[in-house]
Amino acid sequence: MANDRNTEDYFGPIRRLLVGILVFALLGIFLVWRIDSPRVERFRLVVIDRVVPSFDWAMAPVTGMANLISDFQSYQQLAAQNGDLRRELQQMKAWKEAALQLEQENAKLLGLNNVRLDPELTYITGVVLTDSGSPFRQSVLLNVGARDGLVDGWPTMDGIGLVGRISGVGEKTARVILLTDTSSRIPITIQPSGQRAILGGDNTLNPPIEFLENADLVRPGDRVVTSGDGGVFPADLLVGQVALGNDRRLRVRLSADYERLEFLRVLRSRPNDGITDPGSLLAPADAPQSAQAETDD
Amino acid sequence: MTDASSSKVWIGRGVFVILSIGIIFAQLLPLDTRPTVWAPPDWLLAMTLVWVARRPDFAPVWIVAAIFLLTDLLFQRPPGLWAAMVVILTEMLRARTASIHEMPFAMAWGWMAMGVVAITIINRVVQTVVMSVQAPLALSLIQMVMTIIFIPLVVLIAQFIFGIGRPTLGQVDSRGQRL
Repeated sequence: MANDRNTEDYFGPIRRLLVGILVFALLGIFLVWRIDSPRVERFRLVVIDRVVPSFDWAMAPVTGMANLISDFQSYQQLAAQNGDLRRELQQMKAWKEAALQLEQENAKLLGLNNVRLDPELTYITGVVLTDSGSPFRQSVLLNVGARDGLVDGWPTMDGIGLVGRISGVGEKTARVILLTDTSSRIPITIQPSGQRAILGGDNTLNPPIEFLENADLVRPGDRVVTSGDGGVFPADLLVGQVALGNDRRLRVRLSADYERLEFLRVLRSRPNDGITDPGSLLAPADAPQSAQAETDD
Repeated sequence: MTDASSSKVWIGRGVFVILSIGIIFAQLLPLDTRPTVWAPPDWLLAMTLVWVARRPDFAPVWIVAAIFLLTDLLFQRPPGLWAAMVVILTEMLRARTASIHEMPFAMAWGWMAMGVVAITIINRVVQTVVMSVQAPLALSLIQMVMTIIFIPLVVLIAQFIFGIGRPTLGQVDSRGQRL
């Protein structure tokens, strides 16, 4: 162990040597990370898996206390808020009626047309343990991991909208890269025009829309959902609404409440079955099995 | 006498480690997950620099290296690079502790500021050379400036709350060396 302030003539050089070795070891870790990043990232996840859950007992009360204080501040506008909510509720009731009628109509029409929809996605809910800890990265750590069957790349939502995707799964924890992170890229569709684009995070609250083919067809207020392009993400998850930024770029106002991410749903998504068979010759009626197989495709 | 002063050093080290863990813990709390337009100061770096400049025996190099490597891993930074930068800077400060003690505070502050600027630039250059994903430039510059601005506050806290002052004249460590 390198000790402090020893006699210059004897311990000095040894200490300097040890410090030199230490610095080279640290730079070595950095180089190994650069060369073989998956292995070091796995090591990083093991460390996080070990360290963060041991903070958990202290995290929960401190976070709860801080939230309590910020809630207390909002009590001051309680009366005004109450009025607003009551008015909103009135509107919502009208919408609810409309939605119920539409749902019935929709179910009836789907039944009449014999449409096969995607099976509904199932999900696992996790609690947010920590955020990324630095202002440069936008990610959160969940308390569910490989033991709960999580897989890299699964989408994560709060109750309403898409929040991010799983990137890095430890035994007991998993990291979610938020849509606002600079390395996040999500394929999206803009409704009702159906334009495809990419949502690229840039460390701001409203990420910009990139690679949009025809911006004239898109207006602020349009709904943005995931497109499922590339087969990485399931389609039709709500992302947010189009908004025009101060810099005249089209951005997305995210539906998820990023101010307070507490419980997140991780959707179990599995890639669609690909059709690899080019299709064989249609045989005449004396080979009923193969003909049957063809019509199934 | 020797026992008393060596246990004092170990208590000082313990306080340093507990403070570091406290800072890491506070940064990890998921209070607000929205991206910010400004960056808070790097409290851990500021504290380490002040401790090394004032009481190098309380912040030995292996503790500094271990803590910064841990933060590299926890905060999603390239592991090892920032820790190596901080170790080099603290070693340069440590070698000049005696002269820093005799400087007026403004000069010592200037010294640390130069060090912070230097390691931030080198960190950025190395990351550019190896082409890894970089933090936004504006944010890292804001963080650098904030860290430098807040060093005097950390010095005041260290002095008046934790008693990490300049060693008085003739104070010696466990081996009878002048601090």
